[in-house]
Amino acid sequence: MRLSGLALLVAVGFHVMTGPAIAQTFVFGAQGEPVQLDPAVITDGISSRITRQIFDGLVRYRGSTTEVEPALAEKWEVSRDGRVWTFELRHNVKFHDGTPLDAAAVVWNFERWWKSNHAQHENQVKAGQTFEYWEAQFGGFDDKSIVSKVEAVGSHTVRITLKDPQAPFLANLAMFVFDVASPKAVEKWGLEFGKHPVGTGAFQFVEWKPNQEVILEANPGYWGVKPRVKRVVVRNIKDNSQRLGALKAGEIHGMEGLNPDDVAVVKSDPSLQLLLRPTNTTGYIAFNYKVKEFQDKRVRQAFAHAINKKAIVDALYGGTGLVATQFQPPSLWGYNRELKDFEYGPARARELLTQAGFAQGLSEITGEDGKKEPLIFWYMSRSRPYFPNPKEIAEAMAADLAKAGITTQLQTTEWAVYLDKRKNGQLPLYMLGWTGDNGDPDNFLCYFFCQPGAAREGFYANTALADLLLRAQKLTIQAERARLYRQAEQMLHDDVGRLFIANNQPPLALSKRAKGYVPHPTGSEYFNTVEVQ
Amino acid sequence: MRRYAVQRSLTVIPVLLGVSVLVFSFIHLIPGDPALTMLGERATPEKVAEVRAHLGLDRPLWQQYGIYVGKVVRGDLGVSIVRGDPVLTDLLRRFPATVELATAAIVLAIALGIPIGVASAVWRNSIVDSLARLWALTGVSMPIFWLGLMLAWFFGVKLRVLPTGFRLGTGTAFAPSTNFVILDAALQGNWPVLADALRHLVLPALALATIPLAIIARMTRASLLEVLSREYIRTAEAKGLSQTAVVLRHALWNALLPVLTVVGLQVGHLLAGAILTETIFSWPGIGLWVYESIEARDYAIVQGASLFIAAIVVVVNLATDLLYALVDPRIKYD
Repeated sequence: MRLSGLALLVAVGFHVMTGPAIAQTFVFGAQGEPVQLDPAVITDGISSRITRQIFDGLVRYRGSTTEVEPALAEKWEVSRDGRVWTFELRHNVKFHDGTPLDAAAVVWNFERWWKSNHAQHENQVKAGQTFEYWEAQFGGFDDKSIVSKVEAVGSHTVRITLKDPQAPFLANLAMFVFDVASPKAVEKWGLEFGKHPVGTGAFQFVEWKPNQEVILEANPGYWGVKPRVKRVVVRNIKDNSQRLGALKAGEIHGMEGLNPDDVAVVKSDPSLQLLLRPTNTTGYIAFNYKVKEFQDKRVRQAFAHAINKKAIVDALYGGTGLVATQFQPPSLWGYNRELKDFEYGPARARELLTQAGFAQGLSEITGEDGKKEPLIFWYMSRSRPYFPNPKEIAEAMAADLAKAGITTQLQTTEWAVYLDKRKNGQLPLYMLGWTGDNGDPDNFLCYFFCQPGAAREGFYANTALADLLLRAQKLTIQAERARLYRQAEQMLHDDVGRLFIANNQPPLALSKRAKGYVPHPTGSEYFNTVEVQ
Repeated sequence: MRRYAVQRSLTVIPVLLGVSVLVFSFIHLIPGDPALTMLGERATPEKVAEVRAHLGLDRPLWQQYGIYVGKVVRGDLGVSIVRGDPVLTDLLRRFPATVELATAAIVLAIALGIPIGVASAVWRNSIVDSLARLWALTGVSMPIFWLGLMLAWFFGVKLRVLPTGFRLGTGTAFAPSTNFVILDAALQGNWPVLADALRHLVLPALALATIPLAIIARMTRASLLEVLSREYIRTAEAKGLSQTAVVLRHALWNALLPVLTVVGLQVGHLLAGAILTETIFSWPGIGLWVYESIEARDYAIVQGASLFIAAIVVVVNLATDLLYALVDPRIKYD
């Protein structure tokens, strides 16, 4: 009897092991645990990947581009002065809790994000949360915001009035943070809404098992492309190698966070496919302009000619990197295709150094007080999308510089200290980068170069560039703006304001059984187009 | 004995206080502003100041410590900085998973370690002994994360007989009542879930058991050899008792005393090892949770969990010491 019980157990175990076909479920391996699932207060990619399935915004990005297309808003108009936006909402759309999506619900969401005395805003702030992206994209809260009025002018018509025209307004609205939540559900759950998210999206929330998985179910009444799987499970697998193991074992169908060395492993596995997200990230080297030597443009040019970017990208990015010629990645519409990059040439670099008076090479720098000190080249201690192996990349660049007669000492420190020192302008020469938020060139260029002489940017003061960027921010015609951003890149290049090293296309690995996954530069993809065969 | 028990128990208090100072100051002594780390590249100075004030980081250190200890004593371990959930609630919810894993590992380590140690001692310098010692040496020096990856790769990816991680299969609908999934499944009579849970337990338990197993085997061997050289054993042998009887009835029981201490000490190592094992196998216990919190600099969780783990180690060691007296009547404390 006991033996047969054991046999039964084994048989059951075996059954679970082989399992039924799971083609009804798409399982995605994430790098960590979501923070929470209220899109308005999160900032991280792990959480937003899940909220994107549950919620929709007024507008969204089309396919794998950052161009904006209709979502909950079917169409919109903007006044001639670029200040008044009128959105017509899609009819017959319901939140997962059955409440209707109408103008009142949209206005309610805007007020929650925007007004610090809104009950569902205040409670979040008291609990230590911030509506960080609202603040960043729309200039702040209450009177500080660029938004001056949000009103329902019909049951399905919303009018938003701005104090000044804001060129990236639509691109901002397409960000995951401005996805619309069910007012009833937010009011019901309060601070716990992030554990019980309710939106209008293709999938509705079922369960979140802490440190394990989040389970979503197809929304049969979805207004857009109907989901092709019944369920989505996002599993939290912390270790990169283990996540790839789970993919190879068929336990998950897709994953992100591949080690650069594993890209080749995925390529060579006939059951797997490699997808690359269009690049949205740039790694750079910044000079500190308080350093006397760096004030000489010829010295900066020497650096630009000394570094062999192509060799670095080929050797250290696992085949997913691109050589950067400018700050914007090529996927952005302000990218300057005509721009001619500095050619790699240690001899040319030496020549420039000699012209600048450093025939013996450069190994010491002079501070503001005239004191000399060794040239320290700072690299970050953490892997970032733009510099996946910062130490190795720094070593390669230092070796290149040495060939041109520039001797640097590599140094790193704890990430927080690094950012702190950078912010205070204490790093003479350092590596860092940027990942775009909304696909707008303004988001790349203006954050860095609209405040000439800021300590955070190594005291780089290019007022002409700043003026140009501030002008571009106010225009509403994209073609005109694009022209200005191309010009800005050329100015930055001519001045060698900064050295742009590489763009990366973060890789995704999927089982060949999973079809229809469209990688997106922002890293949050919609799963309703995914099918598992 | 009672006086000893009371005295020994009282020593726990200064130890825990010491631990709390250590845990508290570690987080403040390591370089970097927690507020800045949390906010990252996009931090504005105002935002950093705001977060610092919110976390109480702008107060003097001794005040922060005083407030912290005061709360801990009342059972308040604070709230998670990242998620805002009470640390104690989260801790208690995740703890059963770790207990389940650690128990499986220690049972495995004892069940295999002691017989290996006995075999090694009885057939000293034989091929069995050499193999066992080689195995023990390898086991002690094996990095858990490497072993875990290899186990998952071999059994999960190559052979596909066991899952590469997690506690249950994808999307399993199961509502545990105590969060001891195996226990709950057995109590609810949910055999498929029980089988699934056991299958998921095998590899992480094996990975976590390796080091304690090796240490227990080595300790058993050394201790048994020492006992076997005692005179009363020679007497027993001279009386013509079989070797089995001598070893099992007369020697082993006495030899197990130091092994007991080692097992007690292993609890600390198990909990430390659980951080790596749970991370590798996506096992949702406090190890994985602590790992994620360290990464996110959620120091409220790191503090709470460290304190909790330290308390468990201290209590288990206390229990081991007290157990000593019960197991060996020769030990008298007063």
